[in-house]
Amino acid sequence: MRSLFIVPLLATLLAAQAPPKVKAGLVQSIPVNGSIPDDPAMATYLAPYAAKIKASFGQPLVKAPLGLFRGRPGEENLLGYWVADTMRAAAAKSIGMPVAFAFTNSGGLRANLRRGQLKVEDIYEVMPFENEVVILELTGAEVIQVIREGLLHRGGEPCSGVLVKVAGTAEKPLLTVTWADGKPIDPAATVRVATTDYLYTGGDSIPTLKKGRNLVRTGLTLRQVLLDRCAALAKAGKELLPPAPGRYLVPPEIREAIREKKVRL
Amino acid sequence: MERRDFIATLGAAAAASAVPLRAAAASPESGRITLLHTNDTHSHIEPFGPGNGALTGRGGVARRATLIKQLRAAVGTSLLLDAGDTFQGTPYFNLYKGRLDYRLMRMMGYHATTLGNHDFDNGVDMLVAAMESMEAMNHPNAPFAFINCNFDFKGAPHLEKRMRPYMVREFPGVKVGITGVGVAFAGLVSPQNHVGVTWRDPYESLKPVVKHLRETEKVDLVVLLSHLGYQMDGAYDDLRLPAHVSGVDAIIGGHTHTFMDVPVRVPQALGETIIFQVGFGGVNLGRMDFAVTHGGVRASGGTSIPVES
Repeated sequence: MRSLFIVPLLATLLAAQAPPKVKAGLVQSIPVNGSIPDDPAMATYLAPYAAKIKASFGQPLVKAPLGLFRGRPGEENLLGYWVADTMRAAAAKSIGMPVAFAFTNSGGLRANLRRGQLKVEDIYEVMPFENEVVILELTGAEVIQVIREGLLHRGGEPCSGVLVKVAGTAEKPLLTVTWADGKPIDPAATVRVATTDYLYTGGDSIPTLKKGRNLVRTGLTLRQVLLDRCAALAKAGKELLPPAPGRYLVPPEIREAIREKKVRL
Repeated sequence: MERRDFIATLGAAAAASAVPLRAAAASPESGRITLLHTNDTHSHIEPFGPGNGALTGRGGVARRATLIKQLRAAVGTSLLLDAGDTFQGTPYFNLYKGRLDYRLMRMMGYHATTLGNHDFDNGVDMLVAAMESMEAMNHPNAPFAFINCNFDFKGAPHLEKRMRPYMVREFPGVKVGITGVGVAFAGLVSPQNHVGVTWRDPYESLKPVVKHLRETEKVDLVVLLSHLGYQMDGAYDDLRLPAHVSGVDAIIGGHTHTFMDVPVRVPQALGETIIFQVGFGGVNLGRMDFAVTHGGVRASGGTSIPVES
């Protein structure tokens, strides 16, 4: 209706039907907090659903005395390292062959693991998605490119099996990737890589993962792999501890330049 | 983020709604409407537990239900809307597959929502099953609408018949048009989870819908449920939208989980677009009041209609 008034003739004809005047009044974001009582009917309706959640998701899993955290910007994502390590080990076990590298996305890990006794629901909060662990083949050069894409896209994505170092300056950065034992990566060699179906099909913009060959779907969700690992630790009387830091060594000024998308790696 | 006392907020709200707009409300040619809204509730049915920083103890559907009832009793005409990503985030989604989320929304009296990327997390069939579960429940509130104008659902007929590009609701003195747009699937939704659904340019999809709402339906207020995100790297977000699509009065935003205490106003060819988004997880309920006055005498060519505070 408003655009009719752009035409002067119509404007004259329709002068009696002036457009409505819209005026915004109060606009506010109202906190939903403990000062608001539960709606009784809603609370009654929810009770059995909540009880079922508590019964299945409140089960104790394993003790994590230090917790596992994603880290603030500039810190390493130890939770992510654990997820990548666990994914790599589970992938290798599922096909009975070594898997050299695992890569996941920090954006897919939706919570930290707090210190103390973990429950099933904590793993669900870390990994709520139904992502499946997949195995594919990449060349060493493609593995390095996957790491480069993760660095440029998110400042370095959680991975397992490698050490990543960026040296030099923001203007002239030098990326070095070796295997975890410090041995060089042969760019031409083919290796097995574990990741998720989400990343393989283009999620989170790591295009080189799509080049993966000889895809194996493990049929295991990443969450199930994490749950199984926790249960195995508890059964062995062990605690869940964070992996050692040091997988990504990136100087702060280069990290900042990456964040501002001013770096070519 | 500011934490305000609920009672004080309600008091201020009641005062604000009673004083400045009274003259308009008295005229039969005028109307008022309050939009209540959420976005990215992500299956946060219970309040946030310990270890969630400033969000600890916030949210919870049973409280939201109370707040909605209280506000509705206080404000008169209102619509309860949501900007998508109802699914995914807590074990409630893993166990109840979004069906409980949608049923609770119907119980709270939602009128409409749109689809966010995470609403496709279990695929199209599970999304449809959650919609069906909500529609099938025995409850005095009508099922709510699913609104989107930039997805092509032709390859997913069971979803298509539940979607509509826009909705018009008429109240005394106010006619409201509601439409919705969603974020591109690429990089966010696995291809197997949106089989039969194709994303299209949200700006180009919106233009004819807004034109139809304004010129044919002759609505007073155009409201957009947007899951594009407040500010994104690409070409499409709520902040850029008004420069490409004129005639949207209010954007109820989502996707970026942006906590806004005050709305952002962006000028556009027909006036101004007010953009608002209230975080995520149901920790806030958004409120936007609008007053509409009809029968103004000015009709000079091409002038814009201000959307003022």
